[in-house]
Amino acid sequence: MTNLPASNSEASSFLLLDPRIQQWIWAQGWTSLRSIQQQAIAPLLAAQSDVILAAATSAGKTEAAFLPLLTRLLQGGGHEGSQAGFILSISPLKALINDQTQRLSALCESLDLPVLGWHGDVTAGKKLRFLQGLRGVLVITPESLEALFVNKGTTIPAFATAIRSIVVDELHSFIDTERGKQVQSLMNRLDLAAGTRITRVGLSATLGDTALAADFLRPGQQRQVTTIDTGSEGYELRLIVRGYLDDWEKPQAEATTVAADPVGFPSCAPSNVQDDDVPGSAKHAIAEYLYQHLRGSNNLVFPNSRGKVEEYADLLRRYSERENVPNEFWTHHGSLSREIREEAEAALKQGTTAATAICTTTLELGIDIGNIRSVVQIGPPPSVASLRQRLGRSGRRAGEPAILRCLCREDKLTPKSPLSDRLREGLVQTIAMVRLLTQAWVEPPRREAVHASTLVQQLLSVIAQRGGATAQELWTTLVSSGTFTQVTKAEFIELLHALAVKEILQQESAGALLPGPVGEELINSYDFYSAFTSGEEFRLLAEGRTLGSIPIARPLTIGQRIIFAGQRWRVQKIEIQERLILVSSDPGGAPPSFDGAGGRVHDRVRQEMKKVLSESTPIPFLDRFATAMLEEARTSFRLAHLDQASVVPDGAGVLLLTWHGDWANDALALLLTASGHETTNEGVFLRLSDATAPQVVHTLEKLAQQAAPTVEALRIRPKDAMKEKWDWLLPEQLLLRSFASSELDLESLPGLIHQLLERTRDVRSTGERREGT
Amino acid sequence: MPPIRPRERDALLQSLRAGVVPRLGQYLIQVGRAEELKALIADIDRVADGGSTFRLVIGEYGAGKTFFLNLVRSIAIEKKLVTMHADLNPDRRLQSSGGQARSLFAELTRNTATRTRPEGGGLAGILEKFISQAQEEAGLLSLSTEQVVRRQTAQLAEMVNGYDFADVIIAYWRGFDTGNEQLKSDAIRWMRGEFSTRTDARAALNVRTIVDDASVYDQLKLLAKFVRLAGYNGLLICLDELVNLYKLTNTQARNSNYEQILRILNDSLQGSAEGIGFILGGTPEFLLDTRRGLYSYPALQSRLAQNTFAKSGLTDLSGPVIRLTALTPEDFYLLLEKLRDVYAFGNPERYLLPDEGVAAFMQHCGKRLGESYFRTPRTTITSFIDLLAILDAHQDVQWTSLIEGHSVEPDRGGDLEKITEDDDELASFKL
Repeated sequence: MTNLPASNSEASSFLLLDPRIQQWIWAQGWTSLRSIQQQAIAPLLAAQSDVILAAATSAGKTEAAFLPLLTRLLQGGGHEGSQAGFILSISPLKALINDQTQRLSALCESLDLPVLGWHGDVTAGKKLRFLQGLRGVLVITPESLEALFVNKGTTIPAFATAIRSIVVDELHSFIDTERGKQVQSLMNRLDLAAGTRITRVGLSATLGDTALAADFLRPGQQRQVTTIDTGSEGYELRLIVRGYLDDWEKPQAEATTVAADPVGFPSCAPSNVQDDDVPGSAKHAIAEYLYQHLRGSNNLVFPNSRGKVEEYADLLRRYSERENVPNEFWTHHGSLSREIREEAEAALKQGTTAATAICTTTLELGIDIGNIRSVVQIGPPPSVASLRQRLGRSGRRAGEPAILRCLCREDKLTPKSPLSDRLREGLVQTIAMVRLLTQAWVEPPRREAVHASTLVQQLLSVIAQRGGATAQELWTTLVSSGTFTQVTKAEFIELLHALAVKEILQQESAGALLPGPVGEELINSYDFYSAFTSGEEFRLLAEGRTLGSIPIARPLTIGQRIIFAGQRWRVQKIEIQERLILVSSDPGGAPPSFDGAGGRVHDRVRQEMKKVLSESTPIPFLDRFATAMLEEARTSFRLAHLDQASVVPDGAGVLLLTWHGDWANDALALLLTASGHETTNEGVFLRLSDATAPQVVHTLEKLAQQAAPTVEALRIRPKDAMKEKWDWLLPEQLLLRSFASSELDLESLPGLIHQLLERTRDVRSTGERREGT
Repeated sequence: MPPIRPRERDALLQSLRAGVVPRLGQYLIQVGRAEELKALIADIDRVADGGSTFRLVIGEYGAGKTFFLNLVRSIAIEKKLVTMHADLNPDRRLQSSGGQARSLFAELTRNTATRTRPEGGGLAGILEKFISQAQEEAGLLSLSTEQVVRRQTAQLAEMVNGYDFADVIIAYWRGFDTGNEQLKSDAIRWMRGEFSTRTDARAALNVRTIVDDASVYDQLKLLAKFVRLAGYNGLLICLDELVNLYKLTNTQARNSNYEQILRILNDSLQGSAEGIGFILGGTPEFLLDTRRGLYSYPALQSRLAQNTFAKSGLTDLSGPVIRLTALTPEDFYLLLEKLRDVYAFGNPERYLLPDEGVAAFMQHCGKRLGESYFRTPRTTITSFIDLLAILDAHQDVQWTSLIEGHSVEPDRGGDLEKITEDDDELASFKL
């Protein structure tokens, strides 16, 4: 809690709160409100516009939103019949819901208002009681809200009318995802059902571009959104980037896959892990470092993938056992069972004994885990925004600095090392991201994508809600009222026809569209409510206790040894029908493989990487090893004239250095493939496997003369474009457009091609000059 | 022909003009469908004899199902039956677990019509009649009224859920006897299905059950028995807009409703129910769609299948399904004539439009709406009454000049049209 001098504005805004809430604040012993909490009071009480509250994790955003909103609720909020109605809070995770419910219950109990956290694990009786009263606070997941629309469609108007305001927690996690589109659509449908504009409040981490976030909260009317951003408040940051060199020589093939997917999942094939598992390797060095430095305090370690979480957790547990000290290292990731995750959260929170969680993005969100001393990032972070979120976990106490340790593991260079290794891509990316972080830059959310897959879900949901709807009603509800505005009428009609062909829809004689036999199966299935895919999973059971789940697509065999939840197990039995795997404790094992994609790198990060490489000044926050590695990378960069050259021959093919983000790189790769060169995006460069430099330049020149490329020009195979849950139901054209809008950056292509040509011309002319002298 | 009562005329014209089905005076404008009506009158007679019937009235949107149902209902009331009617909607179903079935029951009891209360709310009247009947009988047999009431209700107690039902009737009697208005209204509330918890019912009436989702049909059977005890001939239940069951998106919910229909059908056709008749109105797809209609339920399909000999003009009205054939142009001409007659209070001298005017109007509609104008008469009738109203108000205006400029809109069916933005491509969307 920061102790701010009591200014006039503070005192007056505090007095605007309901007396009972003021009393509660006094009873908590708070000496002052935090700055976001003060600033939020006036606009939220006025309820004239929608509000976005942006601040770092655990800056008290929940209270900032709810103190004034509850005041309004208690005062009747301008509606007849005071205290009627409720605040709807949409939250992305069950754990967050439980957390928020607990925090709000303490406050609301004194106000005599019920608080209900609504998700799959809450009993039907409690839900029913809330629906009968419709007062207080309801905290719900988008999926449960969807289920409410589908199963209790006739009660929605009453439900929506009772809503006084909608709070979207962790707004940034929804932006530009198919799930976010679903949230937008649901909020819009609530507005329509209530027949009025319900004020929306977004709680968010610090945002790169507030206009885009505002546009997400209220599409098309972002001007009417007030943004309060206190994220730029200064804090002390202690920072180190450490390099670790793997002495052990890897086979060539594996090295390229790592290069192709620098932040993705490690190759966890058991054989590799065995080889890798030798003491003295970089992994052991990192684990040793963690063991030495993190014991005795609360920390978070982010190794970027669930597989690596397990690896490190296992190593650290073994160290603790070897030294005969209690294990302070816990695992936390999305595939673990709720109990195990809650154990880790509780261990972090209780504060009497030290605890460190090895975790994934699950602990990035605002689950309350108490004070964290330092954050460790192993490998390059998925994005600057995510790094900022992670860092925001530490140094929350006054006078304590935030501590960030970035540990980068790089391979030893050999004559055969690929370019990405020679450029130390992982390390340089980490440095670039850290530098951007200190410049207070984060990735802006991407421009709104179409997410036509979610449109299919929403179509069916509206139909189920109203017991049939005409094409006209669907258009009005979902498209023209502002959610799926990028879909044209022709596309919409084509979509309806395509859905009818697949027996998703049918029409009754008065014109209302109803679900067809297949559509009905979809609606009635339990996983209809989520907009994203959650692949089928096996449940992992050890002596009656659920450990978590692993993807069904990566099967295990009986007798196989695995690491899970930081422990070692042996598979005893696989029940295919019940989707169960029984395991028992066993020494030895390797982590199972999980599905998942690495983060995609933004244009600005790649540009910063180029800058890092082309500079020659030392970077202060690197340790000795990292400095040496960076030196190697800068030398390679200079020798290959990469500040100028964009087309570099490599083996039988050619590498194309764009210094652009993955959206532009992917688009260019598809365009070049469509022009006859097999091209893959390998991160910092594109690889054209069989082409010569002049050929590539020729192709680029040809492309530069053509009009800006369209989706059709990329000749994407429809099956490659199916990324989202309901994509398989879309007509081809809409599918491709939807895919391109979220995965590719077509607009920057002409500029990028132009740039590449410019640079090759420069190189050629300097080369000629050099020959001339 | 008897003179037309002004009250009936006004109610009839008003409702027709608003595009809703009249509740009064339907007989004044009934045309055609004589055979269908005869079949249903036979049904009513069977119910009055203590039998039971089940009919599905099937017709397109606007074909006049609701009108037909109301007509049958008014006839049943004349024949001393008690009638109940309700439209199904997503919140009112035959079978559910979320209170929707009880909601249907509540709607039905609200719409209980007797000869003295043709517009509904007749439940209290039935109870009073039952008591006065009992008092009369007690006088004849020189027994106490209580004894008669107990003897009568003993018959109810044997039926499913009948014990508590009988207790409620007795509670009503006690309230009546002791002047306890609270007890009386509690008993009526119980019968209307307005108690939502057993605790409340127990406190108010000392009964252990309430009318809940699962017992709706049994309660209707009890009511049928009870109205006969009260001196009525039987109970006729009209359920309209069954297409709402067809629209249910949850397969399980839909099938459980169809199962309930099967139960009613079996009971009625086997004669195990007493003095109760069901008429269900729905569209052809509700019946025929093998994917989600009644035909999707095999047991119903075999029971409701059409007589295979009924082809090309031959109709079979003895089966459970009555298909309302579309009106013919001749029927329609007659209908317009009757409307003109009603408008003029049955007095030919006050006719606002000559015969050729009626013909010209029909021609005009044919031109505007295509040949189907007489099949779904709703909008045409509204428009015709509008025309008469103008002629009535402006006696100097020539009908010939009005008809040409008159616009009629095609019927889009179902409930009152929803207002949507003007958009032809989507409004006329067809898969």
